[in-house]
Amino acid sequence: MAATPIPLEVRNITKRFGDTEVLKGLSLQAHKGDVITLIGASGSGKSTFLRCMNLLEQPNEGDLIVHGEEIRFKTTKHGREPADWRQVVNMRAKLSMVFQSFNLWAHMTLLENIIEAPIHVLKKPKAEAVEHAHALLERVGLSHRANAYPAQMSGGQQQRGAIARALAMDPEVMLFDEPTSALDPELVGDVLKVMRDLADEGRTMVVVTHEMSFARDVSSQVIYLHEGRVEEAGRPTEVLENPQSPRLKQFLAPNY
Amino acid sequence: MDALMTQLEALLADNSIFTLQTLSYYTEGLTVTVQLVFLSLLIGLVLAVPLAIGRSSKRGWIKWPIFAYTYVFRGTPLLIQLYLIYYGVVFVDGIQETWLWVILEDPFMPALIAFTLNTAAYTTEIFRGAIKSTPKGEIEAARAYGMSTNLMLRRVVLPSAFRRALPAYGNEVIFMLHASAIASVVTIMDLTGAARFVYARFYAPFEAFLFVAAIYLCLTFAILYFFRYLEKKLLAHLQPMS
Repeated sequence: MAATPIPLEVRNITKRFGDTEVLKGLSLQAHKGDVITLIGASGSGKSTFLRCMNLLEQPNEGDLIVHGEEIRFKTTKHGREPADWRQVVNMRAKLSMVFQSFNLWAHMTLLENIIEAPIHVLKKPKAEAVEHAHALLERVGLSHRANAYPAQMSGGQQQRGAIARALAMDPEVMLFDEPTSALDPELVGDVLKVMRDLADEGRTMVVVTHEMSFARDVSSQVIYLHEGRVEEAGRPTEVLENPQSPRLKQFLAPNY
Repeated sequence: MDALMTQLEALLADNSIFTLQTLSYYTEGLTVTVQLVFLSLLIGLVLAVPLAIGRSSKRGWIKWPIFAYTYVFRGTPLLIQLYLIYYGVVFVDGIQETWLWVILEDPFMPALIAFTLNTAAYTTEIFRGAIKSTPKGEIEAARAYGMSTNLMLRRVVLPSAFRRALPAYGNEVIFMLHASAIASVVTIMDLTGAARFVYARFYAPFEAFLFVAAIYLCLTFAILYFFRYLEKKLLAHLQPMS
């Protein structure tokens, strides 16, 4: 039996903004069902690393392999960029992203937000997309808000809606960029609960977060970044409960 | 209908200015004004959409010529633009022998061209502003969900920008209606042209111009009402849920 390809693999990613090198050779392998959390102080490069995975940021060096397909790059006078944007578009459709500030499309209702990319990117029939969307709304507890516009919903509802939008793509991997950082404390719980359910059903996820309890309870691997390097990585029990480096000890201290 | 006409005729019988004859000047003027404004707005809108997209481009050779165009047409009076196109083209050597002259001889065409180019310039800038203020996060989301640039323009950027541009565009439409009054200076019998004719004929400035002002006012309110309706429908996403 042929081995199923690894959903997401990145190797030796480096990224520079001007003269500042923010990512200094980062690698990561997300196998099916893995929940990888990236933690670190702000400025450690964790969000940039995540954004390099679907090429919202262009890494200066490094490889990106999605579901066994390696993304091709070329070097132009503007720097390195993907050789074939169609390949990138296809790749992105396999990795859906949940943003810190939700980024729902404001002129569409929640339901329209969810069916937009399945219909126009994946070319799904509309009836099927709508049916799937209703099932997803039910899952995230937002059936009653299907026809609401994003501005009419609370932050927590918007973020759960954004997760439903991500799920509607049937993604190989879900990328979460600090999904609870913009929420009021009392709304964080609902969103985390949805994310825990997703982890339990075996979704492959890469999560940038400050929620240490989520990292500890849910993830299969925790990566602690410091100044664009992996300072410590491993199972949450090792990394979070028995940190080795003084920096990670200090980073974790306020949480205990 | 006939009964109504006879009644109207009776009403107007003891009125020396607003006879059926002069009223028909106003109706014809109304038709010309509506045609001129509607056509120039429509063509201007069709031109403005690609121009606004080009104006938002990062490439200088697309962006700057469009900027130059909108800058010139927004920076000079519409009346001067109309004079240039109406009087100016006559002096282009040999133009009277070409097919272009068939189009340009009638004053309606130069006026339509001037108005169209003028409103297209303003509308381009209105749309460009709206495109530019598309929330960055929404664009990132479109990219992250695998949309190509074209799809993203069509499904996210433009629908959102048009909605945001709606109130400003409504003002532009009303502005064009009012600006169209200057068509009468190149002998077009639009609403204002009709009013000038009636004024000259009866030497009754108040009657002639107050009446035409009332018609413009009605048209303006109709446009306002239409845009308020559109805004209510298309900008629902900005209103709190009732």
